[in-house]
Amino acid sequence: MTTNKHNWPDKDGFFGEYGGKFVPETLMHALEELEKTYNNFKDKPEFKEQFYKDLSEFVGRPSPLYFAERLTNHYGTGSIWLKREDLNHTGAHKINNTIGQILLAKYMGKERIIAETGAGQHGVATATVAARLGLECHIYMGAEDVQRQSLNVYRMKLLGAEVHSVESGSATLKDALNEALRDWVTNVDNTYYIIGSVTGPHPYPMIVRDFNSVVGEEVVAQSKDLFNDMPNAIVACVGGGSNAMGIFYPFIDIKETRLIGVEAGGEGVETGEHAAPLNDGTPGVLHGALSYLMQNDSGQVKATKSVSAGLDYPGVGPEHSLLKDSGRAEYVAVTDKAALKAFHEVSELEGIIPALETAHAFAYLDVLMKDFDSSANIIVNVSGRGDKDINTVAEIDGIKF
Amino acid sequence: MNRLTKKLTDLKEENKKALVAYLVAGDPDIETTVELIKLLVDSGADIIEIGVPFTDPIAEGPIIQKAHDRALANDVSLKTIYDIVNKFRDLDNETPLVLMGYLNTFLSHKKLIEENQNNAIDSILVVDIPGELNLADYGITNETINTISLISPTTKKDRIQSIAKNSSGFIYYVTLRGVTGASNLDVKEINTNIDEIKKHASVPVLAGFGIKSKEDAKLLADCSDGVIIGSSIVQMIEDDSQTKEFDRIGAYITQIKQAIS
Ligand SMILES: Cc1ncc(COP(=O)(O)O)c(C=O)c1O
Repeated sequence: MTTNKHNWPDKDGFFGEYGGKFVPETLMHALEELEKTYNNFKDKPEFKEQFYKDLSEFVGRPSPLYFAERLTNHYGTGSIWLKREDLNHTGAHKINNTIGQILLAKYMGKERIIAETGAGQHGVATATVAARLGLECHIYMGAEDVQRQSLNVYRMKLLGAEVHSVESGSATLKDALNEALRDWVTNVDNTYYIIGSVTGPHPYPMIVRDFNSVVGEEVVAQSKDLFNDMPNAIVACVGGGSNAMGIFYPFIDIKETRLIGVEAGGEGVETGEHAAPLNDGTPGVLHGALSYLMQNDSGQVKATKSVSAGLDYPGVGPEHSLLKDSGRAEYVAVTDKAALKAFHEVSELEGIIPALETAHAFAYLDVLMKDFDSSANIIVNVSGRGDKDINTVAEIDGIKF
Repeated sequence: MNRLTKKLTDLKEENKKALVAYLVAGDPDIETTVELIKLLVDSGADIIEIGVPFTDPIAEGPIIQKAHDRALANDVSLKTIYDIVNKFRDLDNETPLVLMGYLNTFLSHKKLIEENQNNAIDSILVVDIPGELNLADYGITNETINTISLISPTTKKDRIQSIAKNSSGFIYYVTLRGVTGASNLDVKEINTNIDEIKKHASVPVLAGFGIKSKEDAKLLADCSDGVIIGSSIVQMIEDDSQTKEFDRIGAYITQIKQAIS
């Protein structure tokens, strides 16, 4: 008898039928080398010690699980708790993964770091850890995102990184990933590629998930401490899926907790103008993995639309595809409009300006809270803070500085 | 016999090197692609490699990326590509045709490849799968189409063996770390690696990526069974697509062919 425990990926990097390693031959050796390094170090006491020390002293972990009193009163039912990843150094969950991967880069003796970024949070997190170790750092970012996340572009530059604006394709996150992969193929011998979500070829979806799972592990302990129970539901936004995977992962075998991923519904899923592959996509191969993908009948990747640069991506991490098919997690979408409304509401009710990505998770509470009575505990993963989005929101609201 | 296998066998017997010319299907348009293939063959190309356009071609440099975009603007899909190759087959039923593309476009058109109408296509090269795998591993089977696998400068010896075993058309040795159109050839490394591959491979080994001048072509043909030229041709197609006067491309191919003969 096999147990029903969630234990993925398999040795070839598949989560059920999803995932894998679909890359040009030039990268195969680098992926094998990375997997070997990771498997070799991940359970070593000195590695874990360094990782948790950095998370504590440099990032400021653990992040609080905070009772959102006014938001709770607003819905008039259940208790809403916020996992405060916005309080991390650099302002989002993205730093957790980069802290881990930069250690791998160091063990592998790589002197050059590259990364892609959408909202700029992963770029800032990568530039931060690279600066800390004195490593050369190149960040690829779609030209459209360079515009709408200009504050983060300047942060990366201050941290000593070189930001490459990518004009090809739709000039957003997917094209930044293409360009980062092209850089990696060219400079594979001395370069470490820090992928920023649970996407890409094996072993990345596993590595990024594991490093970011510190979030879910803390929530398990904090839930016991604060309400002496497991939560009824956890809500997280899903772009590539790293903040969601990190908080979901330790709960996958805790079946009483509903896991809910919120995708970017853009103009509305029914309009086709969105970035919600789990809601309106089909399995396909992009950026090294098989997963749900927004594509046409000829296998061409569709353009996406979202007010949030970090969610504006046509693919999603392969483990989410498995969780969708198995029914263990639920995947929904909210529109730009709903996310913007939540952005303002949470700012005014809680004194917390959430990232536009995170605002998608908050927006779904309008639907979700109807399912629960007052004894329920609901956790929202506050994946990041909204300082970076001030210009975008001001422009939408017609405000000039 | 498969046209590609026959061509490579014939060239070997005559002690000649193969010249493979690459272009993107539907660039600048569908009609012109048929004419361009004909021109390449008439000017001395032995084998034609047809790029299947994809929105996210991660192994391509800027020149070929732009060609993919132009083809996609013409709504080119594998379906249209079969129209193109069937038109060409009416004119020429001997020159081997190879499709080179990304897994997702092939997965979306399994049936077309399994049918392989008129046996028009001889071989497929999927850029974004590990060398030891082929389309059959992804549920696409057609016994008349053979497989071309990539081996790169970073491929270690243990992998070379399993890749060599899997390749039924030829082995495509990627001559540099980088994307198509780059220019950092290291001839000494290429020599050593192709020698190593030849110890294990029963099929010919051709060299491609970064070959531009006739001097490059000669150097690499000397240590391999042939060369693949892509970005230079695609650049000329872009430059001359307004006038549609492609004589320059014909002359270029003839020059390369002479250099490697
Ligand atoms: C604050 C924040 N949340 C969420 C995301 C989306 O990424 P993921 O789905 O990998 O968590 C981003 C990406 O940039 C982000 O900056």
